[in-house]
Amino acid sequence: MLALAALYAACIAVVQPDLPRLWAGLPRLARWLAGAFPPDFSGLPDLLRRAAETVAIATLGTSLAALLALPLALLAARPVAPLPLLYHPARALLDALRGIDGFVFALIFVAAVGLGPFAGMLGVALHSAGSIAKLWSEALETADPAPLEAALSAGGSRAQAAAVVLLPETLPQILSALLYVWEFNIRASTVLGLVGAGGLGQELKNAVDLLDFARVLAILLIIIALVLAADRLSAALRRRLA
Amino acid sequence: MPRGLVVAGLDLALGGRPVLRGVGLAVAPGEVVALEGPSGAGKTSLLRAAAGLLPHRGTIRAGGGRPALVFQQHALAGRLSARDNVLVGALGRLGFWRPALGLWPAAERAAAEACLARVGLAGLGPRRAAHLSGGQRQRVAIARALLQRAQVLLADEPVASLDPQNAEAILALLRALAREEGLAILVSLHQPELARRFADRRLRIEEGQVWEG
Repeated sequence: MLALAALYAACIAVVQPDLPRLWAGLPRLARWLAGAFPPDFSGLPDLLRRAAETVAIATLGTSLAALLALPLALLAARPVAPLPLLYHPARALLDALRGIDGFVFALIFVAAVGLGPFAGMLGVALHSAGSIAKLWSEALETADPAPLEAALSAGGSRAQAAAVVLLPETLPQILSALLYVWEFNIRASTVLGLVGAGGLGQELKNAVDLLDFARVLAILLIIIALVLAADRLSAALRRRLA
Repeated sequence: MPRGLVVAGLDLALGGRPVLRGVGLAVAPGEVVALEGPSGAGKTSLLRAAAGLLPHRGTIRAGGGRPALVFQQHALAGRLSARDNVLVGALGRLGFWRPALGLWPAAERAAAEACLARVGLAGLGPRRAAHLSGGQRQRVAIARALLQRAQVLLADEPVASLDPQNAEAILALLRALAREEGLAILVSLHQPELARRFADRRLRIEEGQVWEG
């Protein structure tokens, strides 16, 4: 209890919440909010093109991540890990990839390959490779070990047993994890534009910089619609896999 | 090379606790031998060691090859078809890519269908293992063992989870396979009356040692 109180005290000391400042800022927020109506959907085709860019970043990024994740997941799943020596390094690598946000990776890739959705896709791919590999290796580790053991006792190698028995057995969980990460990436990709890595975030940043709040609202509404649509689609597909 | 199963001087410890001490036994081709004993006596450990799944000391010879093992809970992959489960028995003589891509050699596919027919499941090859009955699943597991082309078949309580009718049918099938294919079969059972009816000889395992019983 005391430790919790100390933790909160430390957090407050760092953040320095300042209610008067919020109070003073409220009229400004209210003015902006009032100015945001009606939302400005002019140039809708441009916004939709940016939305499509966001979907493309998430989809290609997740697909590339899956390719990177497959060997990583196999190396990091105890029942099939071919080289026990590589088990812990593989775990450490996927934890490191997962630990660095796609946004941060995108920031680095913008510096390396230039502005645009390509940098965003690479950022998404690298972060998601860690997430997907972790979810997949957990699915492989919790699968029924008996069919795997049967394949080994029949003289199969670990690689054969993984490919012939384990991957087909865990296919529903594997696809479900992939859809879950894709859906997450749609959300995450909407802000990648803030670092110049393409998608709707780029339009959002321009509009905020110009204090064009009718435009900001229009973009936020498109983001909400996009994320909801991705959620629904992913949930429906995952239900069918279960 | 002597055919059949020969086990000599088998020592096995699990977690530092000795489970088997100097076990010796032999099963001739065409013979069904029952392995009985209280639960925890080491029946499963003996069979798994003989199948090469547990590290042990001592000699195990299975006609120059690797014995096939039939598990208590059939150990099938539920999403795979019966035929693909049987084909797992051929992995030991195939490379990686063709099985991994589902491109099994035509001869192995035909052999798998023949094994399914041999255990009474002709025509059920395409059906998912999860959609088969308990008795049918154990037959698929036996077909998988047959496709291994082993001379020795080890079965760990293969009828423990089956109703009496299916249990008798499975044991009759094992005895027929011993007689007609010349397999040496060692099967652990916990129902003495089934052992009496279906086994040629009965062995008893107690306190880490095996006795003729």
